[in-house]
Amino acid sequence: MTFVYRFVNDMEQAEDIIQDTMLKLYTHKHYYRNIAKFSTWIYTIAGNLAKTELRKRKNRKVTNISQMGPEDRDYELPSVAPETDEVVQSEYIEKKIQAAIQNLPLHFRTVTILRDIQELSYEEISKIVEVPLGTVKSRINRARLQLQKELKDLK
Amino acid sequence: MDRYQFEDAISAYLDNELPLSERKAFEDFMNTNPDAKNLVDSIRTNMTSFKTLSPIKASNGFMPNLHKKIEFEKNRPSKKIVNRPSKTLFGFTPLYAGIMTVLVVSFITVGVNLWPESNSPVNTLPAYTGNISGSPNPAPRNPSIGTNQDAILAASESDSADTTIQKKKNFKLGNQVKFVKDQR
Repeated sequence: MTFVYRFVNDMEQAEDIIQDTMLKLYTHKHYYRNIAKFSTWIYTIAGNLAKTELRKRKNRKVTNISQMGPEDRDYELPSVAPETDEVVQSEYIEKKIQAAIQNLPLHFRTVTILRDIQELSYEEISKIVEVPLGTVKSRINRARLQLQKELKDLK
Repeated sequence: MDRYQFEDAISAYLDNELPLSERKAFEDFMNTNPDAKNLVDSIRTNMTSFKTLSPIKASNGFMPNLHKKIEFEKNRPSKKIVNRPSKTLFGFTPLYAGIMTVLVVSFITVGVNLWPESNSPVNTLPAYTGNISGSPNPAPRNPSIGTNQDAILAASESDSADTTIQKKKNFKLGNQVKFVKDQR
């Protein structure tokens, strides 16, 4: 769920994609071969569906409210409770990170989420995205450098 | 190590995947360049903050919706979920087993048709047992067979339209060829 949500940045779409992924697992269960981890197979299906969804969204050019950045949302009122400062701060950081991830190209975004958020190994990521190990490492490195530029003001 | 090599090696350094010698060079470069050190620290902090992101949980309606979708897919008339049992005949899929059967049957049919029947008279000529000219050890000839064959050969020569055979037989050099001594 986290992987798909971080990828598409929309809760409803993420749930739809996960449901479609589960449905695909159910209808195509006889295609599963015991050559890779089951989770790898799920990640591959979910990632492909998420990419397809993003492509469709790009063609439709529809902007959902949930896709707006934190600066675009004028309906969120700050909490008045003093103990929520930390919560607000962490929410702000999370939104900044999420926005930075959304600015990454798709192939960088996938590997970054899988490595730095899902904490998968390079080998697993290589199998999921179906590219060589060296390419995965290179993409992760370049994605981290790009994220560092985007999140420079966060510190 | 230059700046580009340094940037390429940042992730490997942070993931502890650099060999010892390269790690030493990386740290030397980092210690001599404060910007490089800041960059590595910044990326490390980002990675730490990624790990602290709150996990995303599905809404309460997720599972009911999923069940609904599965039920819909199950009852869909156009696209039934297929539970494919592994159908094989002696290790072949039905298609290949069918093709193999047809091939075997046609092979047997062709073989039976070509097989000679034992009751039918054999319509073949007896093997020639006469002397083959030029053979080193001529086989002893049966006199009765030999006279017959000579007669057959003589008849065939006389009946033949090829007149060159007779000419060749009657051709004699006589006195037309003279042997002369080598003058050299």
